[in-house]
Amino acid sequence: MGTAPNISTQGLTRRFGDFTAVDGIDLRVSPGQFFGFLGPNGAGKSTTIKMLTGLLAPTSGRIEILGLDLTAHPIEVKRQIGVVPEGMALFGRLTGSEFLNFAGRMYGLDRETAAKRTAELLDFMQLADQPKKLVTDYSHGMQKKLAMAAAVIHGPKVLFLDEPFEGVDAIAAGTLKAMLQGMIARGATIFLTSHVLEIVERLCSHVAIIHQGRLVAHGSLEELRAGVEGQTPTGSGDGSGDGTIPSGEKMTLEQIFLHTVGGSRRTDQELSWLG
Amino acid sequence: MAGVKGMNEVILTVRRRTQLTAIAWLRWRLFVNTLRTTRGQLELLSRILVSLAFAILGLGGAFGMGVLAYVVLSQGKPQMLAVFLWIILLFWQAFPIMAAAFASSPDSSDLLRFPLSYGSYFLVRLAYGAFDPASAIGGLWSFGILVGVSIAKPALLPWALLVLMAFAAFNLLLMQMIFAWVERWLAQRRTREIMGVLFVLLMLSFQLIGPLTGHFGKRARPEVQRFVEVLAPAQGILPPGLAADAIVHGIYPQWPVALSSLALLFAFVMVIGYGLHVRLLAQYHGENLSEAVAASALAKDRQLRLGWNLPGFAAPVATVLEKEIRYLLRSGPMLLTLIMPIFMLLVFRFGAMNSARHSAGFLTRTPNLAFPVAAAYTLLMLTNLAYNSFGGDAGGIQFFYASPVSFREIVLAKNLTHAGILTVETLVAWIAVASLYGRPALDITTATLAGLLFAAPVNFAVGNLLSIYSPKKLDYSKFGRQRASQMTVLVSLALQFVVVGVGVSAFWMARYFGNSWIATLLLLVLAGISLSIYGIILNRVDRLALERRETLVAELSRT
Repeated sequence: MGTAPNISTQGLTRRFGDFTAVDGIDLRVSPGQFFGFLGPNGAGKSTTIKMLTGLLAPTSGRIEILGLDLTAHPIEVKRQIGVVPEGMALFGRLTGSEFLNFAGRMYGLDRETAAKRTAELLDFMQLADQPKKLVTDYSHGMQKKLAMAAAVIHGPKVLFLDEPFEGVDAIAAGTLKAMLQGMIARGATIFLTSHVLEIVERLCSHVAIIHQGRLVAHGSLEELRAGVEGQTPTGSGDGSGDGTIPSGEKMTLEQIFLHTVGGSRRTDQELSWLG
Repeated sequence: MAGVKGMNEVILTVRRRTQLTAIAWLRWRLFVNTLRTTRGQLELLSRILVSLAFAILGLGGAFGMGVLAYVVLSQGKPQMLAVFLWIILLFWQAFPIMAAAFASSPDSSDLLRFPLSYGSYFLVRLAYGAFDPASAIGGLWSFGILVGVSIAKPALLPWALLVLMAFAAFNLLLMQMIFAWVERWLAQRRTREIMGVLFVLLMLSFQLIGPLTGHFGKRARPEVQRFVEVLAPAQGILPPGLAADAIVHGIYPQWPVALSSLALLFAFVMVIGYGLHVRLLAQYHGENLSEAVAASALAKDRQLRLGWNLPGFAAPVATVLEKEIRYLLRSGPMLLTLIMPIFMLLVFRFGAMNSARHSAGFLTRTPNLAFPVAAAYTLLMLTNLAYNSFGGDAGGIQFFYASPVSFREIVLAKNLTHAGILTVETLVAWIAVASLYGRPALDITTATLAGLLFAAPVNFAVGNLLSIYSPKKLDYSKFGRQRASQMTVLVSLALQFVVVGVGVSAFWMARYFGNSWIATLLLLVLAGISLSIYGIILNRVDRLALERRETLVAELSRT
């Protein structure tokens, strides 16, 4: 418990004019944690991840990555982190191999290591079949895999992933998950946002939920579960928004999430004409 | 069973009618919805004006064709009809390509998600083609010929109508077939770029037609005549020649020949129709034009490729420079921009050779200025890159921000690329000037290089500021207008006035004192100042890029 966090924020705030997208967030992510950062659409997830990776300046607050102040030591921090941002940040008119080589060298690898890791990553991500294909011609899923490869080519200690599994096929998703779990086993920290709660539940040891710019839950899955179960009566529903949780069952992350952000699923009763 | 079949046919017919009505309604709504914006309303106004111009062209042309057809038939020269029909064919086929110029057109393949029969799809494509201005004008001109022929030879009306209808059908199908195949080629990035380059080169080559015909025309007249003599019978077996032949032999009358010409014309219609059918059927069956299919044929290339190394510079500088060069080499439009100075030298040279002796070209009269002018033009063309140096990176700008590399190094690498291009282009321009206008004098060459040493750093410095303050996303693979931001255009213009003004003043002073080396000296002093300004700005780039990161990321990552 006494370990210094790999990611920590204090009072992290970002305003766009009158609108506060992120409102005084305090986060602590310890080494070796697979951290899921959840929230409904427009809650402030991407804004937070952009601030944590130096893509966006905070209005106020402090960010420390690996014990270094991001504002004061941006280059030192960036050298040790990997990022797959929302827009993937690819150079469309390079081939996959050229892009990875480029990424490796930008992160300070020597020419030989960059070339060797490029080949290994292309093979691992199953992108080696079409070496002359430009990134702009890749499918969405292939671009995601390439962005992931570029983010890990320098062996980062902290990895930030914004929706990494979106558009990725099941086989590739399995490969990526295995890679990420391997990184965690070797002591890396992964900060991930995703709308696919099953994936987060399966992969992440710790979760934070952001809603309307504020952190509304933060802890291990068990801690979150205990917190929600303590406040909610048991009932006969499926726990998807009727205000109860099914008796005798362990709450899923989806149920916790819906309880925490106060959402409920719409039913298809109104669209009875649908076959 | 027969009843069920009949019922199915009725349902199909009703469904087809409903679908075609729905498509017509869709086109109408798309048009009406464009009027919601001021831009759309202005578009309507310009469309009305253009339609008026088309109407005048169509009706005037039809009248002209009618009169000409009447005259040639009255004068017993019906063979001349072939010339008019060739004009119609060339206009009908070339005009849509010129007018479209790769602009977006309604994509009928979008309709394929609906349960549309192949017959309906084919019809829709033909209907789109029939409403094209080229078809309307071509149709009117053909009608004009029909009227002219009918007035001259009234008995020929039914026959001429049949022949000209076949000719019109041929044109309509050919236009649609060309478009369908062009669509196919434009669907893939690689073929799209090749087509784009070919198209622009074709447009540019028109610039040379005048000068070249003026230059060679007088000498090559016998050869041109021989060429025409060979061409004349050959055109007779092509659709315009066949249509004319069918009408001509209907006049005499020699019906077996006329019928065989018409039969051959129909054969062309069938062949072209089949070509269109092949393409549309492939579209209808949902062909896969993804780049994956095209690229899968490429051999596997597993050998390790090392990145570039630039002695004296940090690895990130070499890496970004390598990336910039690769981007440039893959951008047809950018490469084309960069060869423009050489092309303009050619145009000026041939234009001057063609012009009358009292108005010989400016550069021919003052060949000493050819190299400075070419160098200045080269630098001007380079501003496309230097004034918006992050434009082509698009979403990649986020990578730069996320990477542990300072913007100073990134910008330096980009400027080194620009300087490298400028060096190569200046060398090529010197060789071109030497070949076309005679070798530039040593003092002029040196002064020009000194001028570039002054102008390039100051342009790069301002370009770096503009790249950060008014970025604009650019698609390097796209032809056509991609406007720079208004601020960039304005500052660029002002800077060019200053730079050119300073350069001209230096040359003027040198001429005034009768010593060209004065210009070199002056420009070298100015180069020292401009290099210092460049250095100062380069050292502030990191701070500026950090301050402007949100704007840069938002503007360049926009989809």
